[in-house]
Amino acid sequence: MDKLITGIKNLDYILGGGIPVYSLNIVSGSPGSGKTIFIQNIIFNSARAGLKSLYLTTISESQFKMVRHLQGFEFFSDDLLGEKVIYGDFGAVLRKQGTDKGLEYLTQLIKKHLPNIVVIDSFKAIRDVFPDERTFRAFVFDLAAALSIWEVTAFLVGEYEEKELTLLSEFAVADGIFHLYGQEEKRFQKRYIRILKMRGTNFEQGEHLFQISPVGIEVYPRMKPEGKELQYEVKPGRKGFGIPGLDEMLCGGLSEGTITLISGGTGTGKTTFALKFLLEGAEKGEKGIFLSFEEPAAQLQNTARHLGFEIDKYLAEGRLGIEFISPVELDVDRHGFEILDMIREKKVERFVIDSISSFESSVSDIQKYKDYLWAIGQQLKRRHISTIFTAVNEDPFLPLIVSKAHISLITDNIIILRYVEDDSSIKKVLGILKTRGSDHDKALREYEITPNGINILGKLDRTDMLR
Amino acid sequence: MSEIVEKQVERYENLLREMWTASAKYLGILSANLLVERVVWEVSMEYQEIELLQYDQNGISCARIAASLEENPDLPVEDMFMKFITRYVAILAKLLGHERTEEIRKRLKEEFATIPFASREE
Repeated sequence: MDKLITGIKNLDYILGGGIPVYSLNIVSGSPGSGKTIFIQNIIFNSARAGLKSLYLTTISESQFKMVRHLQGFEFFSDDLLGEKVIYGDFGAVLRKQGTDKGLEYLTQLIKKHLPNIVVIDSFKAIRDVFPDERTFRAFVFDLAAALSIWEVTAFLVGEYEEKELTLLSEFAVADGIFHLYGQEEKRFQKRYIRILKMRGTNFEQGEHLFQISPVGIEVYPRMKPEGKELQYEVKPGRKGFGIPGLDEMLCGGLSEGTITLISGGTGTGKTTFALKFLLEGAEKGEKGIFLSFEEPAAQLQNTARHLGFEIDKYLAEGRLGIEFISPVELDVDRHGFEILDMIREKKVERFVIDSISSFESSVSDIQKYKDYLWAIGQQLKRRHISTIFTAVNEDPFLPLIVSKAHISLITDNIIILRYVEDDSSIKKVLGILKTRGSDHDKALREYEITPNGINILGKLDRTDMLR
Repeated sequence: MSEIVEKQVERYENLLREMWTASAKYLGILSANLLVERVVWEVSMEYQEIELLQYDQNGISCARIAASLEENPDLPVEDMFMKFITRYVAILAKLLGHERTEEIRKRLKEEFATIPFASREE
């Protein structure tokens, strides 16, 4: 089936390639939800692809303001107005000449301009012009038939509330329904789009974040764990840290393409271990990315230099990348998607998220957080990327809480870092809780982080450390 | 009107009826008539006489066209109908998809082997 390519970032992806042509679509949402910009973005993108759109407003005063407002967006172009994007008024005809003349007038406009796309904004506003629901329903059916016969893809825009979506007659004839809405979530005012219906194409269900930027609309598809069982090849290779004692404990290193959780209290060195893992990969010519929600790149570079790591060399050679996202700005809906994009684009072999605790704290819905992490985890495993997630253990003396949201379930390997009190001094110990498909040293070993790097020391002679 | 032209109009009328009935099966009567209306409008740019085509919920009739041929016997009626049918089927193919339209096309071709139906690329 032929599709109308919207050209909106990621929207065509969630639509399975685009909107089926000659379909009748409803774009619903409350005032300010972004409906008009959404649809204008589509018609201007289509205009650039050579398609003609007829945009009919039903409230005549709004047209001038609308065009004025659109000028701030990159998708807008004066050159397309009148030629490929034609504005007209539909409301006045219905009000002055009567509803029975409405279709005739619309057909005349279509004959005159032969558009590929027709938009009626606001469609809900013209409901009041009709004497009763029955007449309006008949009009909607005739309109739908007429538009498809003229090979028009139609968009009816309206300020519909979610509860109306199953009740009103226009939704029964619609082939596609886009519902736009906003939601306050902690620091951000977030916008979401849901495709409630789209005949003739497979689409990604659920709510997808979108933002309105100077570019126009940008959609960030919902990240979801795949329902089907993840089939991925476990490669026999090992990915070491380049820390002799630790690599020995791991029988040569972490299995290639697995996910490792390093959990520990503040100051135990989670970031340092994770960074060392990437540097060891860089030394072997493997690309790595350190995604930090905790420390900016400059701070990480300083830390690495103090420990004698050759971080600058690898950064300059492009074998190591550090991406910092401030936890204040962290928006998992958007960044979750961008992280996967970044991994795909840069073809990395090793990857670190420091820390997933920051990720967790930025999502109010814990289930959503789990879904996101599962989805990211699945994608990483499918791509055989050896990954480390660090997690902050709120009580540094409690060793067995690896993460609040049971994230340990998606990880293949778990390394715990913790403090212990020993002979009136605080020592750091490291233990390996699990390594999937591989043996490992079960001992708890003391370690130290010095200007010469990380040293794994001997076993501590205590028996109560995991209690 | 000569007997030959009369026969010709009758043949086309049968063809249009068959085409209309077959398409109404998929589109519904309302949409089938809207499609006729659209194609009439397009063909009328060249042959205004096509506006004499009558259509309603019961189907299509060429009676008024046949009558007009009495006054205008030189009308290239064959070309007018060919253009109508070709356009009708081309739009139908876009609306229904080529697979379904192929059935209608096949039946029409059996009857009128010379009709140059529009290509997929149209």
